Amino acid sequence: MNPTLSELEARATRKSTAFGGDAHIVCDNLVRIYKTEGVEVVALQGLDLVIDEGELVAIVGASGSGKSTLLNVLSGLDVPTAGVAKVAGMDLLSMSARDRLHYRRSVVGFIWQQTARNLLPYLTSRENVELPMKLAGRRGGRATELLELLGVGYCADRRIPEMSGGEQQRVAIAVALANSPQLILADEPTGELDSETSEQVFDALRKANRELGVTVVVVTHDPLVSEQVDRTVGIRDGRTSSETLRREGAEGQIVAEEYAVLDRVGRLQLPRDFMNALDMERRVRLELESDHIGVWPAREEPSDD
Amino acid sequence: MRIAQLVRVHLGAVTVLFTLALSACLLVAGLPRAAQGSFDEALRGSLATAPAAQADLTVSVESRSPSGDLHQRSEFDFRDRRWREILPAPLRPLVTAPGHQSAKTVLTPITGTGGHTYINLGWLSDADQRVEYVQGRAPGKPSSMTYENATIPVFEVGITESALKEMQLQIGQTKVLGENDYVAVKIVGAFEAKDPGDRYWSHNLDILQVTKIQPPGKLDFEKHITTLIPDEGLAVLSSEGRNLGYHWILPVDPSEATALAAPDIDAAVADFDRAIQLQASGGGYHLQTGLPKLLALFLAALGTAQTVMYLVLGGLLAVALGVIALAVLLLGDRLDHTLTLARARGGSLRLVAGVAGGVTATAVLPAGLAGYGLSYLVPGPALPIVHLGPAVVVLVAVGFAAARAARTYRTPLHERREDVAATRPSARRITLEVLIVVLALAGAYLLRVRGLSGGDPFLLLVPVALTLAVALLTLRCYPYPLRLLVRLTARGRAAVPFLGLTRAARARSASVLPVLILLPALGVSVFAAVISDGITTTQRLASWEQVGAPIKLTSNIEISEATIDRVRALDGVEQVVIAQTGRVQVGYTAERAEAIAVDMAQWRHILAGAPIGLPALSDGALVSPDLRGRGTFDIGWQSRVKLATRGVIDSVPGFYTEGKFMIMPLDVLIRPAVNTLLIKGDVSLDALARLVPSATVESQERALSAIQDDPLTHAVRWTLLVVTVALAAYALVAVVLSLVVGAAERARAVSFLRTLGLSDRQAQRLTVLEILPMILVTALVGLGLGLLLPYALGPAVDLSSYAGDLPVGDYALDLFTPLALAAGLAAVAVLGAYAHTAISRRRNLGAVLRVGELT
Repeated sequence: MNPTLSELEARATRKSTAFGGDAHIVCDNLVRIYKTEGVEVVALQGLDLVIDEGELVAIVGASGSGKSTLLNVLSGLDVPTAGVAKVAGMDLLSMSARDRLHYRRSVVGFIWQQTARNLLPYLTSRENVELPMKLAGRRGGRATELLELLGVGYCADRRIPEMSGGEQQRVAIAVALANSPQLILADEPTGELDSETSEQVFDALRKANRELGVTVVVVTHDPLVSEQVDRTVGIRDGRTSSETLRREGAEGQIVAEEYAVLDRVGRLQLPRDFMNALDMERRVRLELESDHIGVWPAREEPSDD
Repeated sequence: MRIAQLVRVHLGAVTVLFTLALSACLLVAGLPRAAQGSFDEALRGSLATAPAAQADLTVSVESRSPSGDLHQRSEFDFRDRRWREILPAPLRPLVTAPGHQSAKTVLTPITGTGGHTYINLGWLSDADQRVEYVQGRAPGKPSSMTYENATIPVFEVGITESALKEMQLQIGQTKVLGENDYVAVKIVGAFEAKDPGDRYWSHNLDILQVTKIQPPGKLDFEKHITTLIPDEGLAVLSSEGRNLGYHWILPVDPSEATALAAPDIDAAVADFDRAIQLQASGGGYHLQTGLPKLLALFLAALGTAQTVMYLVLGGLLAVALGVIALAVLLLGDRLDHTLTLARARGGSLRLVAGVAGGVTATAVLPAGLAGYGLSYLVPGPALPIVHLGPAVVVLVAVGFAAARAARTYRTPLHERREDVAATRPSARRITLEVLIVVLALAGAYLLRVRGLSGGDPFLLLVPVALTLAVALLTLRCYPYPLRLLVRLTARGRAAVPFLGLTRAARARSASVLPVLILLPALGVSVFAAVISDGITTTQRLASWEQVGAPIKLTSNIEISEATIDRVRALDGVEQVVIAQTGRVQVGYTAERAEAIAVDMAQWRHILAGAPIGLPALSDGALVSPDLRGRGTFDIGWQSRVKLATRGVIDSVPGFYTEGKFMIMPLDVLIRPAVNTLLIKGDVSLDALARLVPSATVESQERALSAIQDDPLTHAVRWTLLVVTVALAAYALVAVVLSLVVGAAERARAVSFLRTLGLSDRQAQRLTVLEILPMILVTALVGLGLGLLLPYALGPAVDLSSYAGDLPVGDYALDLFTPLALAAGLAAVAVLGAYAHTAISRRRNLGAVLRVGELT
């Protein structure tokens, strides 16, 4: 039976449930292409990602998989080519320059891998933390408090070259937190540090997450970090390929379960090892069972020639 | 963000910028000032050396009837005030000093002399201040006498003492003047001028000297003298039967003249003349002055000077701005970390651009003010460019810094992905470049054909366009031969030449600015050096042309054998050539020609090494072009001499340049009456003058220094020198700055190569090889451009007034200065590259490779 006009109207006005719903970070089919004079590099090839508010998520992936591009997009430093990227309800693709500035000032904070790049060497820690506040036109009252929280209160009046790498990175976290953002992004924050110092820096991030309720996304190679977060998202070839969820088992041990990511249209990336093991190539056979879907290598087709 | 803190942190770059901006502002404000100052000085000089009668304004009127006669001093004063009231504004500052008035009769003959002797009557308003009676007494009230049954006035007059003897007059004599309306003069006193050298007398030479005029077709001279009558005489002086003229002299004060106001004077003089004719009752009043003509000569020389100045100052400004832009780039590099971080952490674009502009302004604004202030120490008037120049420098520097920051940090993440960069010029850019090249060539053609006299100011842009076109061609084409070299070196076994040249061939936009700076810097400084050399050479030539020998001694009477021997015996005299000059009769007609009889071989000998030469002559004569083709001459000079034409000579240096003249060997004269000595040797001119009191002594050196001392010439040469030095300095700074700007990137590359086994020595060679092609190519092209510009502009820029009126052309390619400039530049660049690698060697490899590495 054909729908009546009023039914159609009601259908049109009915809000369809968007992908990711009201999650804190939503990336849907995100594409970023670097293009210069005819040469194209597709850094993100339809990435999907949903992160809820207050989560502490690690993003892992091989070099060149698009981790840093994703982080640059999320931090408002880079604009994606296509797709949807929303953070705290703000659409990163359609933002005006003014909105983007506001976004960087008050919604997001970030930490680069190179400690030297995060901080101005000729300012003290406190002045560095106060800088984003001043840029946003706020008073710099929270600086000491933040430094204390992250365990580097004693460094407040030291200049950057007078501090260790770990201290510098923790000050960098304080800088990222300066304007009370809802989200902080860290690009390999422990990449240049030894394991003990890495631990301190990660603790600082976790503290920010737990005590300030800030969503934290960390790009990392460091197992120390990736194995301690609740969720680790794997990126391969510009797409999210796997997720590892960790929960506390009944006896207090950590149970990690790795999942493949199923996108909205049903695409699934099989781990390369699995494919290699069964010699899967080009096509596979699927069979729907009552509680799972089976994937089999394609049958040898009798060839015509 | 605190700008003061950023300035403190990046003090080095800020200091460089400050110094460059200071020097640029001082130069662009000071040089035009100094130049204009010397233009003024030149104008004042030319007005002061011109006869007052030519420079001053003289209002004259002929009294045609007794009703128009002026008898009272007050009538003169009244009109003097009137003239000053209607003086047009441009003339007012010049005419400030009180002048004088005169009433003079002309051509007043002594009765019965048949028009051979004239005693004119003259009244000067300030005679009592100007003359002093040395014989008799000052003239008094006129009386009367009866002559041919009529009562005629008898003027008591004073006469200049020298005229008494010359006109055979005596004090106490009474002479009747006129041929029908008679008057008589009684000479009661003789006077002398209190200051005969005063320019004042140029208006009244007829009072001070007897004027002798040879009427056409007669042998005897007419003699004219103007005698002085007192105020009482003026009351009786009537124009009845006399040629009586009244004159108001409005003296022009040379010290008040300025070159800037000079172009308006011409029109003002014409206006004044018109106003006088309209205002004065009775009519007949007119203005006499040579001021417009004097100014026209000056303005012609000034025009050339200004063209050259504009060209070199424009080049200097462009280069200075380029170097400042390079320093701004350096400062921008230093600020990059701070600004990137600020932009990423939420700094607005306006704030980031503001900080970049602010830090730059902190350096250039005080520099601009200081440069502007210092320029006031330079004597000369404040032209608009004096105020504008520093403002332009400051605005360009701050604007460039802010605009560059705004462009760079438009997107918060300005990291360029080197892996996807492909340099291919857009069609739009190539079209623009082709357009510039075509315009420059067309402009150069127009300039050669039409010259600058067409008054087309756009043609002044041609040198700029040419420079830009050459720079673009260089930038576009220079990688190609380099790539060829790279291909050759790729086959060789040595890695360093290959690497170095590859890096040089791949160098991108960063190397554009140094090329754009170095090219005009070298081009303009070589141009300045060539022009300067051209002027020097031509000045020297002109001085030789003027004197004709190292020392020339000319006497109006014969120089005796004994005197010549004494001259020969003087200390320092190496050689003396004797000659006789005179006017000779050509054939048996009234035609006259100038002639010089001289031993040509000896004269040629003393001219050895001079830029002028004379043809050899053993018999016959060399004649001027006017006497060409007449075959054998029969001339009358002491006796009749027959001379065959042996050739044509355009000029006899030191003697004749135009008209009819001939030069012959001395032995054609039976008994030469030597009146000219040509002397070679290091001898005091005063000693020569003492030895031959009747002679005038000239020397080539003195003539040369007279040409060189001309303020206008001096200004042009001095400006060229300063600009050359400044441009060379800027070129060196540009090389060093471009090395420093690219230092971080180069250090990283070198460090990387060192991990692969590059030795220190190889690293140094690598840096040198990388920078050398750009320097060498730019130096060569700049050299070529500088040598080409005088030819391109040659017809448009007439420098003859700076070289003793000889045309400056045929730029003798004295390559020393240009080559020294280019070679010095290349040498400093190489040294800089070595120094640079020596410093970077001290850096820790690991630190260089880690810091700032992009993920």
